[in-house]
Amino acid sequence: MLKFRDYIRVESKAEYEKAIASIEGPVLLLAGGSDLLVQARQDDRYEDHTVVDIFGIEELRTIEDTEGHLVIGACVTHEAIAQSLLVNRYAPILAEAALSVGSVQIRNHSSIGGNLANASPAADTLAPLAVLNAEVVILKDGIESVVPLAEIFEGPYKTNLGDRDLIVSVRVPKLSADVRHDYTKVGRRKALSISRMTIATLLQTDENGVVTRFDMTMGATFPCPMTFPDISAMLVGKRPTKEDISEVARALSAKIPEIAGIRASTRYKQPVCRRLSVRILQELIGDEQHA
Amino acid sequence: MRKINLTFTLNGKPYDIEANPGARMIDVIRDDLGLTGTKEGCSVGECGACTVILNGDAVASCMVLAGSMQGADILTIEAMSELKLGNLLQESFVEEDAVQCGFCTPGFIMSAYALLKKNPDATRQEIREGVAGNLCRCTGYIQIVNAIENAAHHMREE
Repeated sequence: MLKFRDYIRVESKAEYEKAIASIEGPVLLLAGGSDLLVQARQDDRYEDHTVVDIFGIEELRTIEDTEGHLVIGACVTHEAIAQSLLVNRYAPILAEAALSVGSVQIRNHSSIGGNLANASPAADTLAPLAVLNAEVVILKDGIESVVPLAEIFEGPYKTNLGDRDLIVSVRVPKLSADVRHDYTKVGRRKALSISRMTIATLLQTDENGVVTRFDMTMGATFPCPMTFPDISAMLVGKRPTKEDISEVARALSAKIPEIAGIRASTRYKQPVCRRLSVRILQELIGDEQHA
Repeated sequence: MRKINLTFTLNGKPYDIEANPGARMIDVIRDDLGLTGTKEGCSVGECGACTVILNGDAVASCMVLAGSMQGADILTIEAMSELKLGNLLQESFVEEDAVQCGFCTPGFIMSAYALLKKNPDATRQEIREGVAGNLCRCTGYIQIVNAIENAAHHMREE
């Protein structure tokens, strides 16, 4: 039996706002539970917390197609994202990442909002959301605001959201069909692994093979999701050669000790990042160009 | 902690119960309802032994709080012998020697049931992916995948 102070299930945003106003003591938002239930088993850390179960709020379970964005409700499950035609059409890298989360049993009862709020550096959706330039809609003190994804993170398992702040949705700019993507996940085993490293890449070229957009970052590597304009600038405007690709791979792997410091895993992660980056970029750019 | 009231349908039967809000779905199913066919293995969502079907979706009942049962339609292994596909799966697991110690079997059958309900034409690869969240330490999986494939085949024939 898990120890909480109380449990309240809310069915709408209005009910949610009413509930948090009347609760005394710390609030724990439940948006599926695949992280929370594991953490709650470890000790009595949530003994004085009131669980507010938001997973059933229908308003938070829709994927909307607006002019420029997909607006993915915070409680949309990883399985729903993986199977969504809209996400597969306009942000396929996110659909792939969502499909790589846990097993179908976990994907069916875990959500993108929960994944963000838990702020595990190894969360599979973070690197794709970073290269997609996603934004997060936050409901705080009755006011909704839109903030860039990276701004809510302070460090591993740490966001700047208060216990009563609600992630309402994730806004993902829609990609045009000619943006190529790659999502690579390195784990200790094939299925159900916690990522050791993920690499998310978006690449767009014009009819002459000149790169018009390039975004590449790693997950499970840095304390928070990161994007690298300096890395993007290395290919944009160019018809990349083999040397350009090697340079990008070197620069990207150099970010690991630069940002995360020298850790026990650095000796492993750097060469893995370098070699995978070369492989990913060769694949995305196509062999004919840098032959 | 005050109790919460839960009304739901489980294996076609309506329930109206009081539950501890700190209980997980598996606690309610096994301890409160006495349905012990659902097994608890790892308790952290990795082994799939506790798999049940919640509103048509396979979930790990150790990773779901009791509150999520409110208003839900739930299936556990106990219903399988009364459902055509469930029955075919059970028979097929026996025929194909897909059961050894048996602890993982209820979870595998629930995952297979959820998968084949959604995708009756699942390929062998899709079956493997559909049960990727279930661990078996006895059979080596081949017999299990064979059994699910056979049950799907029989289901399509009927």
